[in-house]
Amino acid sequence: MISNLPGLLRVTAASFKMQAKERATNQFFIGTLLITPVIFTILSVGTYIYGGRANFGLYAVIGAGMMGVWNANLWTSGRIVEGERRGGTLSMLVAAPTPFPVVLVGKSLSNAAASLISMAVTFATGLIVFRLPLDIANPFAFIVSLLLTLAAMTSFGLVLGAFFVLTRNAGAFIEVTNYPIFILSGLMFPLTILPLWLRPLSAALAPMWGNLALGTAAGLVAGNPWLIDLYLIGLSLVYLMIARPLFVRIEHRVRRDGSLEVF
Amino acid sequence: MSAIVVENLSRNFVTTTGTIRRTQKTVTALDNVSLAVEPGELFGLLGPNGAGKTTLTRILSTVLLPTSGRAEVLGLDVVRDTKKLRPRIGMVYGGERGLYWRLSGRDNIQYFADLYLVPPEVSRKRIPELLELVGLKDRAEERVEGYSRGMKQRLHIARGLINDPDVLFLDEPTIGLDPIAARELRTVIADLHKAGKTIFLTSHYMYEVDALCQRVAVVNKGQIVMTDTPSALKQLVANLEVVEVECLSVTPEAMSRLRAHPRVDAVHIDNRDQVQVLQIQAPGGVEFVPEFLQLLDGASIQKVVTRQPTLEDAYVKLLGKDALSV
Repeated sequence: MISNLPGLLRVTAASFKMQAKERATNQFFIGTLLITPVIFTILSVGTYIYGGRANFGLYAVIGAGMMGVWNANLWTSGRIVEGERRGGTLSMLVAAPTPFPVVLVGKSLSNAAASLISMAVTFATGLIVFRLPLDIANPFAFIVSLLLTLAAMTSFGLVLGAFFVLTRNAGAFIEVTNYPIFILSGLMFPLTILPLWLRPLSAALAPMWGNLALGTAAGLVAGNPWLIDLYLIGLSLVYLMIARPLFVRIEHRVRRDGSLEVF
Repeated sequence: MSAIVVENLSRNFVTTTGTIRRTQKTVTALDNVSLAVEPGELFGLLGPNGAGKTTLTRILSTVLLPTSGRAEVLGLDVVRDTKKLRPRIGMVYGGERGLYWRLSGRDNIQYFADLYLVPPEVSRKRIPELLELVGLKDRAEERVEGYSRGMKQRLHIARGLINDPDVLFLDEPTIGLDPIAARELRTVIADLHKAGKTIFLTSHYMYEVDALCQRVAVVNKGQIVMTDTPSALKQLVANLEVVEVECLSVTPEAMSRLRAHPRVDAVHIDNRDQVQVLQIQAPGGVEFVPEFLQLLDGASIQKVVTRQPTLEDAYVKLLGKDALSV
């Protein structure tokens, strides 16, 4: 695989471009990217402000931004596999010489890059609707943390993507898990209000660490953002190590069960 | 070395019925199939719906695993050697799925060129050539969603050829096409064969296999019934004459009477628009036309012709009643 690294990078870039072109023609996705973050921000920031906790405004904006990033990245990754299955292209992608995870990485990265728009919309909503001062303590660390968060979310999406190849209900799975993930990752409420027994589960989720890294870089949470960034890198590698053998096993299973074209 | 070797290949599918009390049922799609295709050959697999044609194509193109038996393409095992095999084969499945409808025809081919790791300098030259070959050069920049069914099918062919495969699998490529589009596609397939490609074609159109293929295997209920050249298959019915009766309101009783006639080998009924066409196979059939028409008492006879047998008649003779599902 490494021997043809330029070729595989070309496939990643082609999948990135392909996904961007498809997305540009999908008005529903444009809605997800532009409208959902506005709704999340108004609900989330409004809850804190009208609850008398206006000092949590920026925290809420980052949380809402992360929800938008999750939606744009993971939700659509689920839809990617489901859409390919319904369109009859999933079997062709799996039977192509390029490993399917490389295709999925390119497409997921494309959605991750688009989700930056979602983050920008969130900040703009906070600024325009609530006139929130968006003072970021360490802008450079914030940008690095954001990029590493996207990388971790993409890797997490790859693990989920492997399971999405198995199931014909990827979209429904993402719908059901959306809010539990938001809550477990501390995107809607601070993690401190969660029961202790739930917190180990949070530690395995990329959005939780991304949110923490961004909060630390923004100066909202005490701590060193670079240390959390290191954790995000480690987490991404763990996800990738899980995803690789998982895809090999799952490809064998779908070829055995003949389920690639069933929807 | 043969381009394709299939030995004792079987494939079962397990289906589940019921919601609370679930029961599993095993369906055999391929049952101990063996065949070989030579390099440069255009080989046809002919059979009714559900005979196992698509299952065999999916196994040979590495999308499905066999339950038992062995299959090799270009000397590579379809189960174990997928990394080496996939860049060397192309597959074209019938129907409108399998394309990105929101993208242009050119974007679709370009994407698969990248997926098949075709070097950019090669794909820059090959994509216009393929678009020319399938007659889509002038519509290449349009979104696929605006293409007719025939255009989508031709785009499938171009996509399947992007890696310049040694072996091309065509699974019912003309299904659902109008006669002109189907004829154009058959011309493309014949040209590819002339260019030296090994082609594995599945179809349930007899005339298509007869016109294109050097050899044909007839498959029914997951088993190969016969493998030979189209002309050898036609020899099965060489001593027969076929009486075609175009009529209305044929009763099952009349059909039974006809089948019981001592000189009748087989009768196939074909519903075309509002008329029924009976194809009666009988040695020296022309002499017995008056008797046949008498047995069809009650039916409104529109037209009677006698003709020499075709591959379709051999197919009807081989498959008997199962041929009706074609």
